[in-house]
Amino acid sequence: MKSQKYLPFFSLLHREISRFFKVAAQTVLTPMINSSLYLLIFGISLGPSIHIEGGISYLAFLIPGLVMMACLNNSFQNSSSSVVGAKFGGDLEDLKSAPLTPQNLIWAYSLGALTRGLIVGSLTFLVGEIFFYVSEGHWLAVQHPLILMVFLVIGSFTFSQLGISVAFWAKTFDQLSAVSGFVLLPLIYLGGVFYSVSNLHPFWQAVSRSNPLLYLINGVREGILGTSDVQMPLAFAVALAGFLVTHALAYWSLKKGSYLRW
Amino acid sequence: MKKSQDNPPLKVQNLSKFYGSLQAVNQVTFEVQPGEVFGLLGPNGAGKTSIISTIVTLEEPTQGKIEIFGHDVQKDPLTAKSYVGWVPQEVINHGFFNICEIIKFHSGYFGKSLSEEETNQLLKRLDLYNHRHKKVKQLSGGMKRRLMIAKALCHNPKILLLDEPTAGVDIDLRKSLWDFVKELRSQGVAILLTTHYLEEAENLCDRVGFLSHGRILRIGQTSEIVTDLTEKTIELILDRELPELKNSWVQSQKGNEIHLKVPMTKGVFEGVRLAGIDLSHIKDIRVKDGDLEDAFRRVMKEGQQ
Repeated sequence: MKSQKYLPFFSLLHREISRFFKVAAQTVLTPMINSSLYLLIFGISLGPSIHIEGGISYLAFLIPGLVMMACLNNSFQNSSSSVVGAKFGGDLEDLKSAPLTPQNLIWAYSLGALTRGLIVGSLTFLVGEIFFYVSEGHWLAVQHPLILMVFLVIGSFTFSQLGISVAFWAKTFDQLSAVSGFVLLPLIYLGGVFYSVSNLHPFWQAVSRSNPLLYLINGVREGILGTSDVQMPLAFAVALAGFLVTHALAYWSLKKGSYLRW
Repeated sequence: MKKSQDNPPLKVQNLSKFYGSLQAVNQVTFEVQPGEVFGLLGPNGAGKTSIISTIVTLEEPTQGKIEIFGHDVQKDPLTAKSYVGWVPQEVINHGFFNICEIIKFHSGYFGKSLSEEETNQLLKRLDLYNHRHKKVKQLSGGMKRRLMIAKALCHNPKILLLDEPTAGVDIDLRKSLWDFVKELRSQGVAILLTTHYLEEAENLCDRVGFLSHGRILRIGQTSEIVTDLTEKTIELILDRELPELKNSWVQSQKGNEIHLKVPMTKGVFEGVRLAGIDLSHIKDIRVKDGDLEDAFRRVMKEGQQ
């Protein structure tokens, strides 16, 4: 029998990744089909009649937003459903009784969520590329891969940490759905996935700029298209702040919250 | 390392736990030594699970301290918890995973990488090997219990916490589990046990503590507690009817039948003689020793007064 220092963390990470792969049809395939439908309806059917400044097609504009939306949504869903499931089944009590630190839990849950987020995001991008090739006759080239990865990773971590925190304090499945449905989804949809804020009335532009999701989504748009509605240093600062705040929130939740089963 | 060698596996000192205004645990103090089975016995709601939950850090103590081999579970939880295997009262579900995966992950949480052979050996020992590819929901109640024990043992703990491990399981399984506990005791594992089966606790526990309303009412060697707190029941049938006996040990006297209750410290014939009965008149005799259940009832009754 071998004893290893980092094994507790890697065991939980392994479990987290295995968990969503066990139900890949639900956790990977369904979100991908969702994104494909968005691309088909908005990008292919309605896209030609929608004008975007800067001479890019609406389909090209839509792809980065959908990639980020898939990534953020799935990261949140993965960590929150895993924590809630663990509360429901009693696994969280197991984890608390084991020599795992709150940081072990946060990073294992977050990396598991990041893996799922990136897989679904990549598949969405792949489908988008195919639609783009069929529509435009050439592939959509990624302009700044590093910027793309930075925003995808930070965004995914932020949402997975948020998922941990919300799930830890939720007392019922309804409360979790409420946060997802009434807070996060509107923020994502109003964060410029489907439209450019430059097309909005100045008042709504100002409102949109107070939405942190706008900066994450535009960071990915800058990474893929090389153009965005916001300044990159500001977008990076907002993304980093979001990551730090949600990390602190997740840490506090794991330190102070209850691990007892529902 | 020195800390580990010099200190008892488990030391609970003045532990108190409040849930709001409700006091679940009240100034509880006890130790468990290597190779010892310590039974924490009490009615439902006595605070047994609260104490165990505090040991595994699921709950924070309101007051007091818990040390595992000298490591405070609040200040040094990682080291302290690495020694502990815990069988909770309620079965844990584990959703999508089968027995092999559950054991692999659980041992990993404790920093132990089990080989396939070691995993199989453990599963065979607990009669789970043939079910190793099943998920928890596909197991019977007894198998689920055995899985909980396999999980608790997969990292070779020095302390085993068994929170009513045989609740709702059949006689055969209970017997095999207790045999297993005895084997672990012989290997030097310190075992803290809660159970409602007092007969089994009497056979298994080296020491017991009676808990009521969060307070330990009595603690000591199981045999000493039984001896101190219970009496022998002696039922005599004599060859003649005796005049009425004036002795406090006589419980009833009807014709040639006499029932005595004598202290456990007294021998049967000594007790009969001291009750004023000539041994030569005895035609038949039945003796029942006091047991842990009698002692438990007495302590609980006195605790309520």
